[in-house]
Amino acid sequence: MSTEDDDLSALIRQHATHHAAPDGLRASIRTQVALEDARRTPLPAAPRAADAPPRRSWFSFGWGTASTSFALGMLCMALLVPLAQRVNFGEPLDADLVADHVRALQSGSIAEVMSSDRHTVKPWFQGRLDYAPPVIDLASDGFPLVGGRIEHVRGEVVATLAYTRNRHVVDLFVWPSSEHKPTVRQVRRGFNVVHWADGSMQYWAVSDMDREEIESFTRLWQQRTAAQ
Amino acid sequence: MSGRQTFEALVLPHLDAAYNLARWLLRDPSAAEDAVQEASLRAFRYIDSLRGDDARAWLLGIVRNTCFTVLERRRSAPEVVEFDESEFEAALGATGHGGSDPAALLEQRKLRTLLDAAIRALSPALREVIVLREFEDLDYAQIAQIAAVPVGTVMSRLSRAREKLRSVLSQSNLGH
Repeated sequence: MSTEDDDLSALIRQHATHHAAPDGLRASIRTQVALEDARRTPLPAAPRAADAPPRRSWFSFGWGTASTSFALGMLCMALLVPLAQRVNFGEPLDADLVADHVRALQSGSIAEVMSSDRHTVKPWFQGRLDYAPPVIDLASDGFPLVGGRIEHVRGEVVATLAYTRNRHVVDLFVWPSSEHKPTVRQVRRGFNVVHWADGSMQYWAVSDMDREEIESFTRLWQQRTAAQ
Repeated sequence: MSGRQTFEALVLPHLDAAYNLARWLLRDPSAAEDAVQEASLRAFRYIDSLRGDDARAWLLGIVRNTCFTVLERRRSAPEVVEFDESEFEAALGATGHGGSDPAALLEQRKLRTLLDAAIRALSPALREVIVLREFEDLDYAQIAQIAAVPVGTVMSRLSRAREKLRSVLSQSNLGH
Protein backbone atom coordinates (compact mmCIF):
# COMPACT_ATOMS: atom_id res chain seq x y z
CA MET A 1 0.00 0.00 0.00
CA SER A 2 1.40 3.36 -1.00
CA THR A 3 1.58 6.43 1.23
CA GLU A 4 -1.01 8.01 -1.02
CA ASP A 5 -3.36 5.18 -0.20
CA ASP A 6 -2.58 5.53 3.50
CA ASP A 7 -3.42 9.22 3.35
CA LEU A 8 -6.69 8.56 1.61
CA SER A 9 -7.56 5.79 4.07
CA ALA A 10 -6.88 8.08 7.00
CA LEU A 11 -9.01 10.78 5.44
CA ILE A 12 -11.95 8.45 4.86
CA ARG A 13 -11.70 6.87 8.27
CA GLN A 14 -11.57 10.22 9.97
CA HIS A 15 -13.97 12.29 7.93
CA ALA A 16 -16.47 10.18 5.98
CA THR A 17 -19.75 9.39 7.69
CA HIS A 18 -20.01 6.17 9.67
CA HIS A 19 -23.67 5.33 9.86
CA ALA A 20 -24.75 3.75 13.14
CA ALA A 21 -27.79 1.50 13.21
CA PRO A 22 -30.90 3.35 14.41
CA ASP A 23 -32.02 2.31 17.91
CA GLY A 24 -35.32 0.95 16.73
CA LEU A 25 -33.64 -1.42 14.31
CA ARG A 26 -31.90 -3.48 16.96
CA ALA A 27 -35.12 -3.87 18.95
CA SER A 28 -37.12 -4.75 15.91
CA ILE A 29 -34.63 -7.41 14.82
CA ARG A 30 -34.55 -8.95 18.27
CA THR A 31 -38.35 -9.11 18.30
CA GLN A 32 -38.52 -10.69 14.87
CA VAL A 33 -35.87 -13.24 15.75
CA ALA A 34 -37.70 -14.08 18.98
CA LEU A 35 -40.94 -14.50 17.06
CA GLU A 36 -39.32 -16.72 14.50
CA ASP A 37 -37.69 -18.73 17.27
CA ALA A 38 -41.01 -19.12 19.06
CA ARG A 39 -42.68 -20.20 15.86
CA ARG A 40 -40.10 -22.91 15.38
CA THR A 41 -40.27 -24.30 18.90
CA PRO A 42 -43.23 -26.66 19.28
CA LEU A 43 -45.78 -25.25 21.70
CA PRO A 44 -46.32 -27.17 24.95
CA ALA A 45 -49.94 -27.83 24.02
CA ALA A 46 -49.08 -29.23 20.60
CA PRO A 47 -50.45 -32.77 20.13
CA ARG A 48 -47.04 -34.04 19.07
CA ALA A 49 -45.55 -33.17 22.46
CA ALA A 50 -46.93 -36.44 23.89
CA ASP A 51 -44.85 -38.81 21.79
CA ALA A 52 -41.70 -36.71 21.77
CA PRO A 53 -39.29 -36.52 24.69
CA PRO A 54 -40.12 -33.46 26.80
CA ARG A 55 -38.51 -30.32 25.43
CA ARG A 56 -36.63 -27.95 27.62
CA SER A 57 -39.22 -25.94 29.47
CA TRP A 58 -39.86 -22.37 28.51
CA PHE A 59 -39.34 -21.46 32.16
CA SER A 60 -35.97 -23.08 32.79
CA PHE A 61 -33.86 -20.77 30.67
CA GLY A 62 -32.77 -18.72 33.63
CA TRP A 63 -32.49 -15.55 31.62
CA GLY A 64 -33.61 -13.46 34.51
CA THR A 65 -37.00 -11.98 35.03
CA ALA A 66 -37.00 -9.51 32.17
CA SER A 67 -36.03 -12.04 29.56
CA THR A 68 -38.47 -14.58 30.91
CA SER A 69 -41.25 -12.04 30.63
CA PHE A 70 -40.14 -11.30 27.13
CA ALA A 71 -40.17 -14.98 26.26
CA LEU A 72 -43.62 -15.31 27.83
CA GLY A 73 -44.83 -12.38 25.77
CA MET A 74 -43.48 -14.04 22.69
CA LEU A 75 -45.12 -17.30 23.67
CA CYS A 76 -48.45 -15.48 23.94
CA MET A 77 -47.84 -14.01 20.53
CA ALA A 78 -46.95 -17.40 19.14
CA LEU A 79 -50.22 -18.77 20.54
CA LEU A 80 -52.33 -15.85 19.47
CA VAL A 81 -50.94 -15.20 16.02
CA PRO A 82 -52.01 -18.57 14.56
CA LEU A 83 -55.38 -18.17 16.29
CA ALA A 84 -55.80 -14.75 14.79
CA GLN A 85 -54.70 -16.09 11.44
CA ARG A 86 -57.29 -18.85 11.63
CA VAL A 87 -60.00 -16.25 11.86
CA ASN A 88 -61.01 -15.23 8.40
CA PHE A 89 -60.99 -11.47 8.37
CA GLY A 90 -63.17 -11.39 5.28
CA GLU A 91 -60.10 -11.64 3.07
CA PRO A 92 -60.16 -14.72 0.88
CA LEU A 93 -57.32 -17.19 1.19
CA ASP A 94 -55.89 -16.38 -2.22
CA ALA A 95 -55.34 -12.77 -1.11
CA ASP A 96 -53.14 -14.07 1.74
CA LEU A 97 -51.20 -16.26 -0.66
CA VAL A 98 -50.65 -13.38 -3.06
CA ALA A 99 -49.41 -11.32 -0.10
CA ASP A 100 -47.00 -14.13 0.88
CA HIS A 101 -45.78 -14.37 -2.71
CA VAL A 102 -45.18 -10.61 -2.91
CA ARG A 103 -43.46 -10.50 0.48
CA ALA A 104 -41.10 -13.32 -0.49
CA LEU A 105 -40.20 -11.55 -3.72
CA GLN A 106 -39.71 -8.21 -2.00
CA SER A 107 -37.45 -9.64 0.64
CA GLY A 108 -35.59 -11.80 -1.85
CA SER A 109 -36.36 -14.89 0.23
CA ILE A 110 -38.23 -17.03 -2.23
CA ALA A 111 -36.30 -20.09 -1.09
CA GLU A 112 -34.96 -21.19 2.28
CA VAL A 113 -33.50 -24.18 0.53
CA MET A 114 -32.04 -23.13 -2.81
CA SER A 115 -31.75 -26.04 -5.17
CA SER A 116 -32.97 -27.12 -8.56
CA ASP A 117 -32.67 -30.73 -7.44
CA ARG A 118 -35.88 -32.16 -6.09
CA HIS A 119 -33.89 -34.74 -4.14
CA THR A 120 -32.44 -31.84 -2.15
CA VAL A 121 -35.63 -29.86 -1.78
CA LYS A 122 -37.95 -32.71 -0.81
CA PRO A 123 -35.84 -34.00 2.11
CA TRP A 124 -35.45 -30.41 3.34
CA PHE A 125 -39.14 -30.43 4.27
CA GLN A 126 -38.60 -33.49 6.52
CA GLY A 127 -38.90 -32.49 10.13
CA ARG A 128 -40.36 -29.15 9.15
CA LEU A 129 -43.74 -30.52 8.08
CA ASP A 130 -45.90 -33.41 9.22
CA TYR A 131 -46.62 -34.32 5.61
CA ALA A 132 -44.50 -34.96 2.53
CA PRO A 133 -45.37 -32.59 -0.30
CA PRO A 134 -44.66 -33.84 -3.82
CA VAL A 135 -41.69 -32.03 -5.36
CA ILE A 136 -41.46 -32.24 -9.12
CA ASP A 137 -38.73 -31.16 -11.47
CA LEU A 138 -40.10 -29.27 -14.45
CA ALA A 139 -36.78 -27.92 -15.77
CA SER A 140 -37.09 -29.87 -19.02
CA ASP A 141 -40.45 -28.19 -19.54
CA GLY A 142 -39.05 -24.71 -19.00
CA PHE A 143 -39.96 -24.25 -15.34
CA PRO A 144 -36.76 -24.82 -13.38
CA LEU A 145 -37.15 -25.35 -9.65
CA VAL A 146 -35.55 -22.60 -7.54
CA GLY A 147 -36.13 -24.14 -4.15
CA GLY A 148 -38.55 -24.39 -1.28
CA ARG A 149 -39.59 -22.58 1.84
CA ILE A 150 -42.17 -22.75 4.59
CA GLU A 151 -45.03 -20.31 4.80
CA HIS A 152 -47.53 -19.97 7.61
CA VAL A 153 -51.00 -19.52 6.18
CA ARG A 154 -53.90 -19.21 8.60
CA GLY A 155 -52.36 -21.54 11.13
CA GLU A 156 -51.29 -24.10 8.54
CA VAL A 157 -47.62 -24.82 7.92
CA VAL A 158 -47.46 -24.76 4.17
CA ALA A 159 -44.79 -26.16 1.86
CA THR A 160 -43.98 -23.59 -0.79
CA LEU A 161 -42.10 -24.45 -3.97
CA ALA A 162 -40.70 -21.74 -6.19
CA TYR A 163 -40.22 -22.20 -9.92
CA THR A 164 -39.11 -19.66 -12.51
CA ARG A 165 -39.73 -18.98 -16.13
CA ASN A 166 -38.23 -16.03 -18.00
CA ARG A 167 -37.60 -14.08 -14.81
CA HIS A 168 -41.14 -14.70 -13.55
CA VAL A 169 -41.51 -16.64 -10.34
CA VAL A 170 -44.35 -19.00 -9.62
CA ASP A 171 -44.97 -20.02 -6.03
CA LEU A 172 -46.77 -23.30 -5.52
CA PHE A 173 -48.31 -23.61 -2.05
CA VAL A 174 -49.02 -27.22 -1.09
CA TRP A 175 -50.70 -28.66 1.96
CA PRO A 176 -52.91 -31.68 2.73
CA SER A 177 -56.59 -31.84 1.90
CA SER A 178 -58.89 -34.81 1.39
CA GLU A 179 -61.06 -32.86 -1.03
CA HIS A 180 -61.11 -33.10 -4.79
CA LYS A 181 -61.42 -29.75 -6.49
CA PRO A 182 -61.29 -28.91 -10.17
CA THR A 183 -58.76 -26.37 -11.42
CA VAL A 184 -59.97 -22.81 -10.99
CA ARG A 185 -58.06 -19.74 -12.09
CA GLN A 186 -58.65 -16.32 -10.58
CA VAL A 187 -56.93 -13.00 -10.92
CA ARG A 188 -56.11 -11.18 -7.73
CA ARG A 189 -54.34 -7.80 -7.82
CA GLY A 190 -53.00 -8.65 -11.23
CA PHE A 191 -51.60 -12.02 -10.15
CA ASN A 192 -52.87 -15.25 -11.57
CA VAL A 193 -53.93 -17.67 -8.84
CA VAL A 194 -54.71 -21.25 -9.82
CA HIS A 195 -56.19 -23.65 -7.30
CA TRP A 196 -56.95 -27.37 -7.38
CA ALA A 197 -57.03 -30.33 -4.98
CA ASP A 198 -56.43 -33.99 -5.82
CA GLY A 199 -57.77 -35.75 -2.74
CA SER A 200 -54.37 -35.85 -1.09
CA MET A 201 -53.05 -32.31 -1.36
CA GLN A 202 -54.42 -28.90 -2.21
CA TYR A 203 -52.42 -26.68 -4.51
CA TRP A 204 -52.33 -22.94 -5.02
CA ALA A 205 -50.10 -21.56 -7.74
CA VAL A 206 -49.46 -17.79 -7.59
CA SER A 207 -47.57 -15.84 -10.22
CA ASP A 208 -47.46 -12.75 -12.37
CA MET A 209 -46.80 -14.87 -15.44
CA ASP A 210 -49.56 -14.74 -18.02
CA ARG A 211 -52.53 -17.00 -18.24
CA GLU A 212 -51.19 -19.49 -20.81
CA GLU A 213 -47.95 -19.92 -18.90
CA ILE A 214 -49.49 -20.56 -15.51
CA GLU A 215 -52.05 -22.90 -17.08
CA SER A 216 -49.28 -24.79 -18.80
CA PHE A 217 -47.42 -24.99 -15.48
CA THR A 218 -50.58 -26.31 -13.80
CA ARG A 219 -51.19 -28.90 -16.50
CA LEU A 220 -47.62 -30.16 -16.34
CA TRP A 221 -47.75 -30.41 -12.59
CA GLN A 222 -51.03 -32.32 -12.65
CA GLN A 223 -49.79 -34.75 -15.28
CA ARG A 224 -46.61 -35.43 -13.37
CA THR A 225 -48.27 -35.95 -10.00
CA ALA A 226 -50.85 -38.23 -11.59
CA ALA A 227 -48.04 -40.29 -13.15
CA GLN A 228 -46.15 -40.70 -9.86
CA MET B 1 -26.05 -22.25 23.06
CA SER B 2 -29.36 -22.06 21.26
CA GLY B 3 -29.52 -20.53 17.80
CA ARG B 4 -31.02 -17.41 19.22
CA GLN B 5 -28.35 -17.06 21.89
CA THR B 6 -25.64 -17.53 19.27
CA PHE B 7 -27.32 -14.88 17.14
CA GLU B 8 -27.53 -12.42 20.03
CA ALA B 9 -24.00 -13.03 21.21
CA LEU B 10 -22.12 -13.23 17.91
CA VAL B 11 -24.16 -11.54 15.22
CA LEU B 12 -26.09 -8.71 16.86
CA PRO B 13 -22.94 -6.88 18.06
CA HIS B 14 -22.10 -6.22 14.39
CA LEU B 15 -25.35 -4.46 13.64
CA ASP B 16 -23.70 -1.07 13.20
CA ALA B 17 -21.28 -2.46 10.63
CA ALA B 18 -24.18 -4.17 8.87
CA TYR B 19 -26.21 -0.98 8.80
CA ASN B 20 -23.28 1.13 7.66
CA LEU B 21 -22.65 -1.19 4.71
CA ALA B 22 -26.33 -1.30 3.74
CA ARG B 23 -26.66 2.46 4.15
CA TRP B 24 -23.71 3.09 1.87
CA LEU B 25 -24.72 0.52 -0.71
CA LEU B 26 -28.37 1.51 -0.92
CA ARG B 27 -27.85 5.24 -0.24
CA ASP B 28 -31.17 5.40 1.57
CA PRO B 29 -31.86 5.06 5.31
CA SER B 30 -35.16 3.23 5.20
CA ALA B 31 -34.07 0.85 2.43
CA ALA B 32 -30.97 0.14 4.52
CA GLU B 33 -33.09 -0.66 7.58
CA ASP B 34 -35.26 -3.03 5.58
CA ALA B 35 -32.24 -4.75 4.09
CA VAL B 36 -30.50 -5.20 7.46
CA GLN B 37 -33.71 -6.52 8.96
CA GLU B 38 -34.09 -9.03 6.16
CA ALA B 39 -30.42 -10.00 6.25
CA SER B 40 -30.52 -10.47 10.04
CA LEU B 41 -33.48 -12.81 9.84
CA ARG B 42 -31.70 -14.73 7.15
CA ALA B 43 -28.58 -14.84 9.33
CA PHE B 44 -30.68 -16.23 12.18
CA ARG B 45 -32.19 -18.90 9.92
CA TYR B 46 -28.76 -20.01 8.78
CA ILE B 47 -27.02 -19.50 12.11
CA ASP B 48 -25.89 -23.15 12.08
CA SER B 49 -23.72 -22.44 9.05
CA LEU B 50 -21.67 -19.98 11.13
CA ARG B 51 -19.00 -22.35 12.35
CA GLY B 52 -15.88 -20.75 13.65
CA ASP B 53 -16.11 -18.12 10.93
CA ASP B 54 -15.63 -14.45 11.59
CA ALA B 55 -19.21 -13.49 12.48
CA ARG B 56 -18.80 -9.93 11.26
CA ALA B 57 -17.54 -10.90 7.80
CA TRP B 58 -20.21 -13.60 7.64
CA LEU B 59 -22.99 -11.14 8.46
CA LEU B 60 -21.62 -8.51 6.08
CA GLY B 61 -21.67 -11.12 3.31
CA ILE B 62 -25.37 -11.72 3.90
CA VAL B 63 -26.09 -7.99 4.11
CA ARG B 64 -24.16 -7.37 0.93
CA ASN B 65 -26.08 -10.04 -0.99
CA THR B 66 -29.39 -8.67 0.26
CA CYS B 67 -28.41 -5.15 -0.83
CA PHE B 68 -27.28 -6.21 -4.29
CA THR B 69 -30.57 -8.03 -4.77
CA VAL B 70 -32.33 -4.77 -3.90
CA LEU B 71 -30.09 -2.82 -6.26
CA GLU B 72 -30.71 -5.24 -9.09
CA ARG B 73 -34.44 -4.94 -8.64
CA ARG B 74 -34.25 -1.19 -8.35
CA ARG B 75 -32.17 -0.24 -11.33
CA SER B 76 -33.80 0.12 -14.71
CA ALA B 77 -30.58 0.39 -16.69
CA PRO B 78 -27.33 -1.40 -15.89
CA GLU B 79 -24.94 0.76 -13.90
CA VAL B 80 -21.90 0.95 -16.08
CA VAL B 81 -20.37 4.16 -14.82
CA GLU B 82 -17.77 3.78 -12.12
CA PHE B 83 -18.34 7.29 -10.89
CA ASP B 84 -21.67 9.03 -11.30
CA GLU B 85 -20.94 12.75 -11.76
CA SER B 86 -24.58 13.82 -11.46
CA GLU B 87 -24.98 11.84 -8.22
CA PHE B 88 -21.83 13.49 -6.93
CA GLU B 89 -23.01 17.02 -7.80
CA ALA B 90 -26.44 16.33 -6.30
CA ALA B 91 -24.99 14.94 -3.07
CA LEU B 92 -22.55 17.80 -2.82
CA GLY B 93 -25.24 20.41 -3.35
CA ALA B 94 -27.74 18.75 -1.02
CA THR B 95 -25.90 19.69 2.17
CA GLY B 96 -26.10 23.33 3.09
CA HIS B 97 -23.19 25.02 4.81
CA GLY B 98 -23.93 26.75 8.10
CA GLY B 99 -22.51 30.29 7.90
CA SER B 100 -21.84 30.69 11.61
CA ASP B 101 -19.32 27.85 11.89
CA PRO B 102 -15.77 28.70 12.85
CA ALA B 103 -13.51 28.33 9.85
CA ALA B 104 -11.86 25.07 10.91
CA LEU B 105 -15.15 23.38 11.61
CA LEU B 106 -16.53 24.57 8.32
CA GLU B 107 -13.52 23.12 6.57
CA GLN B 108 -14.09 19.77 8.28
CA ARG B 109 -17.73 19.80 7.36
CA LYS B 110 -16.87 20.54 3.77
CA LEU B 111 -14.44 17.69 3.74
CA ARG B 112 -17.05 15.30 5.12
CA THR B 113 -19.63 16.44 2.58
CA LEU B 114 -17.13 16.07 -0.20
CA LEU B 115 -15.93 12.62 0.86
CA ASP B 116 -19.46 11.37 1.44
CA ALA B 117 -20.60 12.66 -1.94
CA ALA B 118 -17.60 11.13 -3.70
CA ILE B 119 -18.07 7.70 -2.11
CA ARG B 120 -21.78 7.92 -2.81
CA ALA B 121 -21.13 8.53 -6.48
CA LEU B 122 -18.99 5.40 -6.92
CA SER B 123 -20.60 2.42 -8.60
CA PRO B 124 -21.92 -0.19 -6.12
CA ALA B 125 -19.04 -2.57 -6.85
CA LEU B 126 -16.42 0.09 -6.09
CA ARG B 127 -18.38 1.52 -3.16
CA GLU B 128 -18.57 -1.92 -1.64
CA VAL B 129 -14.82 -2.48 -1.56
CA ILE B 130 -14.17 1.00 -0.17
CA VAL B 131 -16.67 0.54 2.67
CA LEU B 132 -15.40 -2.92 3.55
CA ARG B 133 -11.75 -1.89 3.42
CA GLU B 134 -11.79 1.63 4.88
CA PHE B 135 -14.72 1.50 7.27
CA GLU B 136 -14.60 -2.12 8.35
CA ASP B 137 -10.87 -2.64 7.98
CA LEU B 138 -11.31 -6.06 6.41
CA ASP B 139 -8.40 -7.64 4.54
CA TYR B 140 -8.42 -8.45 0.82
CA ALA B 141 -9.21 -12.11 1.38
CA GLN B 142 -12.21 -11.31 3.55
CA ILE B 143 -13.51 -8.75 1.07
CA ALA B 144 -13.04 -11.23 -1.77
CA GLN B 145 -15.09 -13.77 0.14
CA ILE B 146 -17.87 -11.32 0.94
CA ALA B 147 -18.10 -9.91 -2.57
CA ALA B 148 -17.63 -13.36 -4.11
CA VAL B 149 -14.85 -12.20 -6.46
CA PRO B 150 -11.15 -13.13 -6.72
CA VAL B 151 -8.65 -11.24 -4.55
CA GLY B 152 -7.14 -9.69 -7.69
CA THR B 153 -10.49 -8.14 -8.54
CA VAL B 154 -10.76 -6.69 -5.04
CA MET B 155 -7.34 -5.11 -5.42
CA SER B 156 -8.06 -3.63 -8.84
CA ARG B 157 -11.46 -2.32 -7.74
CA LEU B 158 -9.94 -0.80 -4.66
CA SER B 159 -7.24 0.89 -6.67
CA ARG B 160 -9.73 2.27 -9.20
CA ALA B 161 -12.00 3.52 -6.42
CA ARG B 162 -9.10 5.21 -4.64
CA GLU B 163 -7.87 6.80 -7.80
CA LYS B 164 -11.32 8.21 -8.45
CA LEU B 165 -11.66 9.53 -4.91
CA ARG B 166 -8.21 11.10 -5.01
CA SER B 167 -8.93 12.87 -8.27
CA VAL B 168 -12.17 14.28 -6.87
CA LEU B 169 -10.38 15.46 -3.74
CA SER B 170 -7.53 17.07 -5.62
CA GLN B 171 -9.94 18.88 -7.93
CA SER B 172 -11.54 20.49 -4.93
CA ASN B 173 -8.16 21.40 -3.37
CA LEU B 174 -9.11 19.78 -0.13
CA GLY B 175 -7.29 16.51 -0.51
CA HIS B 176 -3.67 15.63 -0.50
